[in-house]
Amino acid sequence: MSPASATATRQAADPYAAPPDYGPIRFLHRLNPLSKIAAPLPAMALLLFTRDIATPLIFCIATLVMLVVGAHLRARTLLVLLIVIPMIVAVMSVSFGIWTDPARVGDSPVLIEVGPVRFTVGAWLVGLATALRLTSIVLLALIGGLTSTGPDLVRSLVQQLRVPYRLGYTALAAFRFVPRFRHELDVIRQAHRVRGISDGRGPIAWVARTAGYVVPLLAGAIRHAERVALAMDSRAFGAHSTRTERYIIAFRARDWVFIVFFWALTAVVVML
Amino acid sequence: MTDDRGMTDDRGVDAQPAAETADDAQPAAEAAPAPAVRVRSVSIQHDGRAASTPSDVSFDVAPGEVVLILGPSGSGKSTLALALNGLVPHAVPAELTGTVTVGGMRTADATVARLSERVAMVFQDPDSQMVTGTLLDEVAFGPENLLVGRDEVLARAEESLRQVGLWERRRDNPDLLSGGGRQRLAIACALAMKTPILVLDEPTANLDPAGIDEVYAVLRRLVDSGDHAIVLVEHNLDAAIDLVDRVIVLDAQGRLAMQGQTRQILVSRVDELLRLGVWLPVALLAALRLRAAGVPIDPLPLTPRELTASLDAQDALPALAAQRGHPSAGASGHPAADASGHPAGNTASGRPEPAVRVTALDLDRGRTRILNGIDLTIDRGSFVAIVGTNGAGKTTLLQAIAGVIRAPAGCIQVLGVDPAKADARTLARTIGFVFQNPEHQFIKGTVAEELAHGPQLQKMAADDIETRVSTMLDRFGLQELRDEHPFLLSGGQKRRLSVGTALIDGAPLLALDEPTFGQDRARASELLTLLDALNAEGTTVLVVTHDLQLVAEHSSHILVLDSGSVAAFGPTASVLASDALESAGLRTPPLARAFREIVRHPDWRSVTRLSDLPSGAPS
Repeated sequence: MSPASATATRQAADPYAAPPDYGPIRFLHRLNPLSKIAAPLPAMALLLFTRDIATPLIFCIATLVMLVVGAHLRARTLLVLLIVIPMIVAVMSVSFGIWTDPARVGDSPVLIEVGPVRFTVGAWLVGLATALRLTSIVLLALIGGLTSTGPDLVRSLVQQLRVPYRLGYTALAAFRFVPRFRHELDVIRQAHRVRGISDGRGPIAWVARTAGYVVPLLAGAIRHAERVALAMDSRAFGAHSTRTERYIIAFRARDWVFIVFFWALTAVVVML
Repeated sequence: MTDDRGMTDDRGVDAQPAAETADDAQPAAEAAPAPAVRVRSVSIQHDGRAASTPSDVSFDVAPGEVVLILGPSGSGKSTLALALNGLVPHAVPAELTGTVTVGGMRTADATVARLSERVAMVFQDPDSQMVTGTLLDEVAFGPENLLVGRDEVLARAEESLRQVGLWERRRDNPDLLSGGGRQRLAIACALAMKTPILVLDEPTANLDPAGIDEVYAVLRRLVDSGDHAIVLVEHNLDAAIDLVDRVIVLDAQGRLAMQGQTRQILVSRVDELLRLGVWLPVALLAALRLRAAGVPIDPLPLTPRELTASLDAQDALPALAAQRGHPSAGASGHPAADASGHPAGNTASGRPEPAVRVTALDLDRGRTRILNGIDLTIDRGSFVAIVGTNGAGKTTLLQAIAGVIRAPAGCIQVLGVDPAKADARTLARTIGFVFQNPEHQFIKGTVAEELAHGPQLQKMAADDIETRVSTMLDRFGLQELRDEHPFLLSGGQKRRLSVGTALIDGAPLLALDEPTFGQDRARASELLTLLDALNAEGTTVLVVTHDLQLVAEHSSHILVLDSGSVAAFGPTASVLASDALESAGLRTPPLARAFREIVRHPDWRSVTRLSDLPSGAPS
C-alpha cells in the first residue's frame, strides 16, 4: 500500500479535504453551505403537510435535476439517486399502501386480492404519496449534504451566523472522535466476545451486551477528550474572542439568487 | 521531610526576589544568565491525593539547553511538564505551590493561552493532539488562535512543516500519516507557536521503532539549531541520551534527587539511579555488568557506539560463560531451540505435541491479503515474540491463533484444538488472549467477579471457582482489591488482572497483543517479569510487540513477519544475529547493535542480551 495510492483512495471520502471546485456548471459546490440549507427549508416544511402526489413528485424531479446538473457526483452516487431511489419509492409505496386504512380510500379498482386482503389502486396511491413525500424531503436535504463539507458548514456557521467559534471548532475537533470510537467499539466487542459474552440471543441479551460496552467506551472517551482539551489549550484555543480565519466562506449575490429562486419555485408549486 | 541530597543546595537562595528581577527584565532573552525556565520550590498536589508529586522541586533551564527529566513512575515527571506551560494549575485540577517562571512570566499569573506564546507542548499520544482535517490547518491552528495575520500564519506553517519534513503532505488528512508522522506533525504544531521553550512529554511512548527514529531525527535537528530550550520527559534513554545536556532526577516521592550534566550524573551516580528505579541506557547497564565481571571499562559508555569503542579498546575480554553453558545462544537450528526455553516435564512420551501448528494459512480482510502462506510450529514452553513493521500482519496472526478472528478451518492447531471451529469455552481453556488495553476486557463489577466469570462459563463447581479466584488474586497481588471495581485499579493492577482473567480457565497458552504499548518502562518491566515467571512455570507465551530490546531480553524465539509472510523464525539469538530484522524494515535493538560492531573480539559479536554477558557473581 503506497502512501500515494492510499491518499488517492481516501481523498474521495475525506470530509476534511479542501472544498473542490468543479466549474460553473456544477454550481452547487460554489454556494455557501448555509444557502443550501436555507433555500430548501420552506419546501421541506411545506412537504410535511401535503397529501397529494404532484407536489412531492415535482420537488423530487426538480431536486434530482438540480443535483445531476449542479453537483459533481461519483458514479455510485448517481446510480443510487437515479435507480435505487425510484426503486425504494416503488417498494415503499406498496408497503405504505398495505398499511393504509381501506375505509379511507373508498371504492377503487382492486389490484391484488389474497384471501381477505384486497390491495386497491387507491391504497397504492396513498402509499405512493407518502413514499414520495419522504423521498423528496431526503433529496432536498441532499442538496447541501452532497455538495458541502462539514468544516465548511462550521466555518459559515461561525462567519455568517456568528456562532461562537469555540463551539464550532470544538464540534469540528469532535468529528475526529467518530472513527476513533468506532474502532474502539470494535475492539471492545472483540474483547467481550473473547470473554464469552456473545452467548445469548434476543433483545434482552443484546441490551445487556450493549450496556457492557458503554463503560469501557465512555472511560476511553473521557480520557481522550481530556487529552484533546489539554492539547487545544496549550495551543491557545479560546485565547481571544475571535481567531484568524484563513478560509473566508463568502455569502455572495449568487447565494441570494439561489435562495430567492428556490423560494419562488416553492411558492409556484404551492399555488399550482 | 529532610532532603539530604547535595544537589538541591540552591534551595536556600531566596527565590522570591530572583523571580521579580526576571519579571522586571522583560526582554530577558538577550541577557545571558536569565534562564528560560525557572522552577522554584514547586510542589503539586492533584485533587484527592494525599501526597504532592513533584514535591519541593527547584531547577533552571537556560536558553538553548536540553534538559531530560528522569524518575521512577509516579514521581510526577509528567505533572511537572504540565506545570511548565500553566496547564497545572489552570486546566488540571491540582494545587501548585512555589513558582514556575517561563521567559520572565510567572505561570500562576498568566493564562495558558498567554503562556502558549512562551512554551509549546508535545504530548504522548499523537492522536489526541489532532483537531483539524489537514496538516496545514493543523499547524495553522495555534497561530490562528493567537490572531496572527493570515500571511504570517502561512509562513510559519510552511517553515514548521518543512522542519519536520512534512511540507509535501500538507493537504493530507493527519489520519493518513504513520504514528511517527503524526508525532512529527505535533512537533511542527509546537514549532509554529514560535516559542523559545519546547516541552515534550514522553513523545515516543506510543510509537513503533521506525516512528521513534523519525521523531528523534527531527529532535536532533532542533537541538543542533539551538533555537529552543527543550525539556524532555522520556523513558527511552537509548534514543534520547546523546541529545541531552543535563538531567534532572526525581525520586519516588517526587523530590529532586539530583541534577547535573548528563554524563556526570549517569556515570558517577549510577548506583543511586538504579536504586531509585530509573531506567538507564542499555549500553550503560551492559558496561556495569562487565565491570562487575572484571572488565576494566572506563569511562562508562552511554550509547551503543561508545560501548563498542570501549570494548574494542580492551586487549582481552573474559570468555563468554553464558554461551558455553547454553548452546542456544550462539547456535541456530531446532535442537538448540528446544533446549532454550523448554521446561522439563512435558517430555514424558517422546517428542511432545507442539503448542501451535500453523499450516498454509492465508487470511484476507476485505480484498486485501493480510497473511500469506504462513507455516509455523511453536514448541510448548517457548516465549515467542512476533515482530514486524506496521501492517505486517502481526496482530492478525496472533488473533487467528487465539480464535479472536476466524481463520479458514484446518489451518491452525492449538494443542489439538482448531480455534476456527472451537466453541468459546474450549477456546478459553486452551488459550488466553490479552488485549492491548486491559479495560476493554473487563465486564464485571468487582475484581473477584471478573476472575470468576471464566470458570462460571466453564460450569465449574462453586468451591472450585472460589479456590481458583483466590489463588489468582494471591498470584497477582490483588487479594486486597477483590471487591474493587476493575476500572478503579491502577494501570499496573489492571494489566495484572487482565492476565489473570486470561489464565484462570487453565489455558497453557497466553497470547498478548502489544502489552507494553504506551506504558512506561516500570510498568512494562513489571509485566515482563510476570510473563517470565509464567513461562518458567510452563506457560507458552506469544506476544506481539514493537519493543525489540524487550524482545531480546525475554523471548526464547522471534518470529519476524514481513508483508504477511514469515521472514524469519528461530531462537532469539540467531534471529538477532542475522539480518532478518533489518530486511523486514525493523531496527536491531541497541545492545545487539553495539556488540555486532565489535572488531577486536569476534566471538562477542553474537551477544544480544544482558544475560549473555558474564556477570560478577558466578552462578
